[in-house]
Amino acid sequence: MEVQPGHERRRSPHHTLLRGLRSLFKAISGQLNIVGTSRLGRLGLAGLVFFIALGVFAAYLAPYGPYEHVVYPDGKPATLEPPSRAHPAGTTLMSHDVLSQLIWGTRRTLVIALAASFSSIFIGTNIGLAAGYFGGRTDNILMRITDVAFGIPFLPFAMVALMTLGTEDIILIAVMTSVGWRTPARIIRSQVLTLRERPFVSVAESLGASSGRILYRHIAPNILPLAFITTILFVGESALVEASVSFLGFGNPESISWGQMLFYCFASQRMRVAWWWSVTPGLAIMLLVLSVFFVGRTYEEVVNPRLREW
Amino acid sequence: MDLRIFIVKRLLLMLLTLLVLMTITFILFRIAPGDPVASMVSASLNPGARESLTRSFGLDKPMHIQYLLYLKNFLRGDMGQSFYYRLPVTQVLRPKLVNTLVLVGPATLIALIMGVLLGALTAARRAGKLDLFGTVIPLAIKAVPPFWTSMIALLIFSYRLDWFPSAGLRSPGHAADPILEKLLNADFFHHLALPLTILTLHFLAQPLLTMRNSMLDVQGEDFVEMARAKGIGERRVIYHHWIRNALLPVASIAPLMIGAIVGGQVLVETVFSWPGLGREMVSAINGYDYPVAQASFLIIGAVMIGMNLVADIAYAVLDPRVRLE
Amino acid sequence: MALLEISNLQVRYKTKRGQVRAVDGISFQVEEGQNVGLIGESGCGKTTVVKSVLRLLPRTAENEGIVSFEGRDLLTLERSELDKIRWKGIALVPQSAMNALNPVIRIGDQIVEAIQAHEPTTRKSARERAAELFELVGLDEQRLNEHPHQFSGGMKQRAVIAMALALDPKLVIADEPTTGLDVLVQDQILRQIEEIHRRLNVSVLFVTHDIGIVAETCQRIAVMYAGKIAEYADARPLFERPYHPYTLGLMKAYPSVRGSKRELVSIPGSPPDLVVRFSGCGFAPRCPFARDICHQEAPEMVETESGNWAACHRVGDMDQLRKEAGKAVTWTQMAANQL
Ligand SMILES: Nc1ncnc2c1ncn2[C@@H]1O[C@H](COP(=O)(O)OP(=O)(O)O)[C@@H](O)[C@H]1O
Ligand SMILES: [Mg+2]
Repeated sequence: MEVQPGHERRRSPHHTLLRGLRSLFKAISGQLNIVGTSRLGRLGLAGLVFFIALGVFAAYLAPYGPYEHVVYPDGKPATLEPPSRAHPAGTTLMSHDVLSQLIWGTRRTLVIALAASFSSIFIGTNIGLAAGYFGGRTDNILMRITDVAFGIPFLPFAMVALMTLGTEDIILIAVMTSVGWRTPARIIRSQVLTLRERPFVSVAESLGASSGRILYRHIAPNILPLAFITTILFVGESALVEASVSFLGFGNPESISWGQMLFYCFASQRMRVAWWWSVTPGLAIMLLVLSVFFVGRTYEEVVNPRLREW
Repeated sequence: MDLRIFIVKRLLLMLLTLLVLMTITFILFRIAPGDPVASMVSASLNPGARESLTRSFGLDKPMHIQYLLYLKNFLRGDMGQSFYYRLPVTQVLRPKLVNTLVLVGPATLIALIMGVLLGALTAARRAGKLDLFGTVIPLAIKAVPPFWTSMIALLIFSYRLDWFPSAGLRSPGHAADPILEKLLNADFFHHLALPLTILTLHFLAQPLLTMRNSMLDVQGEDFVEMARAKGIGERRVIYHHWIRNALLPVASIAPLMIGAIVGGQVLVETVFSWPGLGREMVSAINGYDYPVAQASFLIIGAVMIGMNLVADIAYAVLDPRVRLE
Repeated sequence: MALLEISNLQVRYKTKRGQVRAVDGISFQVEEGQNVGLIGESGCGKTTVVKSVLRLLPRTAENEGIVSFEGRDLLTLERSELDKIRWKGIALVPQSAMNALNPVIRIGDQIVEAIQAHEPTTRKSARERAAELFELVGLDEQRLNEHPHQFSGGMKQRAVIAMALALDPKLVIADEPTTGLDVLVQDQILRQIEEIHRRLNVSVLFVTHDIGIVAETCQRIAVMYAGKIAEYADARPLFERPYHPYTLGLMKAYPSVRGSKRELVSIPGSPPDLVVRFSGCGFAPRCPFARDICHQEAPEMVETESGNWAACHRVGDMDQLRKEAGKAVTWTQMAANQL
């Protein structure tokens, strides 16, 4: 059969995309392998896998729905029950099962944190790439914009934005991204600045490669480890931001997150009697974020051998 | 480049940032639910008062005029009337700002000094990779949101042990008026202790970790070795060459720390019912008191921008290379 | 009594991979007024020797042996006493002069700091001294007020040399003082060091991988390989009649900055990984003249000519080996065999 030139052309973008995805996947799994080399890194990875599993299989793992009213055998609502066999993490004032809320909450916490991190890093990395590579005016303008972004108080801004725009998840992610890109932009830029001086860039330039090609084929792969570690650490930061925003009452009332649990606990003014209600969601946050830190730190030690000696 | 030119440039940037912040605020509050009048003028006023307020904010004028009027009013310090308190916003927020500053100021200073010192100390002692005070505790603090630590502190030290009051900035009946008397008494410190400790702990974690890491980085640098080779004495090597250069990364992450400080402040104020700007902003938003919400947001932003400026200048003083940028 | 006398110095670094035996029992001396060259490829342990002398090793390093300066053992001296000898007795031009200056302190202040630590002078006179030193190395005195990032590589190198001379030390240790500079600047720096040696009568321990450099500047030379001394001899006999194949290889491998037109052939392979313990001569795997015994037994130091030493099982055959080593094919053949 003859292959039409048009055919070729139509198929190739898919091909490239697929290849791109495959190499991205390979790169990421390669990076994860690096982390697995240390005990701390494996601990962190285990933690992350644990929470992701909780989030994915929440429907099978959680004994009750997030807002299901649990009752005693006699039919009375189980309100503010301390940890017991039936409710290992106790119940809330509204007779919800804390453990179930915790499991369901994992999902939302992870989804928001991952989405916000990826979009922040994506935008920030591209801005950093452009600023660092093109330099001069472009760099100056982009970095001044970044400086301005660093002047925005994140949490207050998120509160105002959610108040005026609504508290849907997508808005929360957008709000987090609209400020979140500033950090990766700076980090990536300074890395690109040093990469730019490497010989392979001038070789590519002298061979007449386009700047887009140099940026994405030559420089971008070299900043992948850095972008990766920034993303990981950002997941932790984002989880904390999500918790804080929800705690202040700007959560999405249709779903549950750890921050929201703490919001309900605090707002109900039952902290004094129901320690389990406040302690458990906080511990969950701590474990998740620590897992992220461990992975990030191990990775940094491996990638930055200077740290490794100590 | 001259330090002075650097400072002037940073000042200009600061003004630009402020303008951007105000513009964002203007836009956000115009798209708030309800008509723009509703966002500046309380619906519960009588029609005559409403009309005069509407006119004074130019809310009947086209958008760009409104924007200019808004900038002008803000610069003149006129931020409208609180819906809830029925008072000028400035009058409502001035004491809140003071309350915030007496908490955040000391917390920041103590945290910065202690963070740097502890970072330097734990690095110098280098008690293994995972020493308790150098890594484990600061990482654990960084891994929890400040509002949760506050809640746990309340649970233990206030509810269980009853060592500290659980809310506010003074006991009922303790209302002395002159500001000095207001702040310099045992009852006030009793209220301050818990939130101050929590805030300090949270502000301290990042500088500590950064300082510790950069101490370990700098220690292998050739210029430290060179300083040692000069026979200038270990004290001088440590203070003039090692610690001084290790401070640079701490200065460079100042914007991140400042962001964390502002967020932490809002959260801790909320949990401890500390009548500051952050808590006021939260309740204003929850109560749809738009003028107060807007003004407290802008004031918080302005304070943050000011802190960034100070940090930038400190960095440039510490590191001459920064002035080139 | 020698100015600096190193006896049986051993240094090991502890690493995750195991112990790196970076310096493995070396001895040599620097007499007063004498220039000594310590040469060897990168990774042979030269910088480690330098750091041991000034006690600048990281805490991961352990050392043994004696480093005696004017009769005092530097390795066991109290810190305060050591600090008195540092810079006043022994000054250093470190391997990476690029990074040897503190980036946030004015260069003049860094020189003044060294002067004031050892002499009870005022800031003003220390400053004047710094200005004189700058003139000596050909830098504008105005530049004392600048920060390192305002200096070019060559200028930093000069500034570091000026700093080394600040206290009229008895010994200057120059660790690869020209590496990383462009050839023109290298030559200027070398001339400067020679001139300073003549004018100020300091001894210089010249550490380099470039055997060409030391030919003219040094009276005595220690060739180092894999943490050991391979050959230790006066300069003229060493260059005329080397007694170690490694010395022969180095002479073939490095062009002199002064532009020798010899044909250049590099020694195949690279220095061994010092974590791995080996029983024979460290150079044997790369030596075109190695016999079975070279792989099995470490050679002893033997006196080749009066006062000159070499550690090679084949010192007796050297007349023959020198001829063969002169041919490029001896080395390229070796490289081909290794492939
Ligand atoms: N701090 C260190 N930790 C571990 N190994 C080191 C350290 N410094 C140097 N080494 C190792 O010691 C050996 C000698 O290094 P060095 O003294 O720098 O040699 P040279 O100056 O001749 O290039 C090398 O194998 C090097 O890898
Ligand atoms: Mg060296």
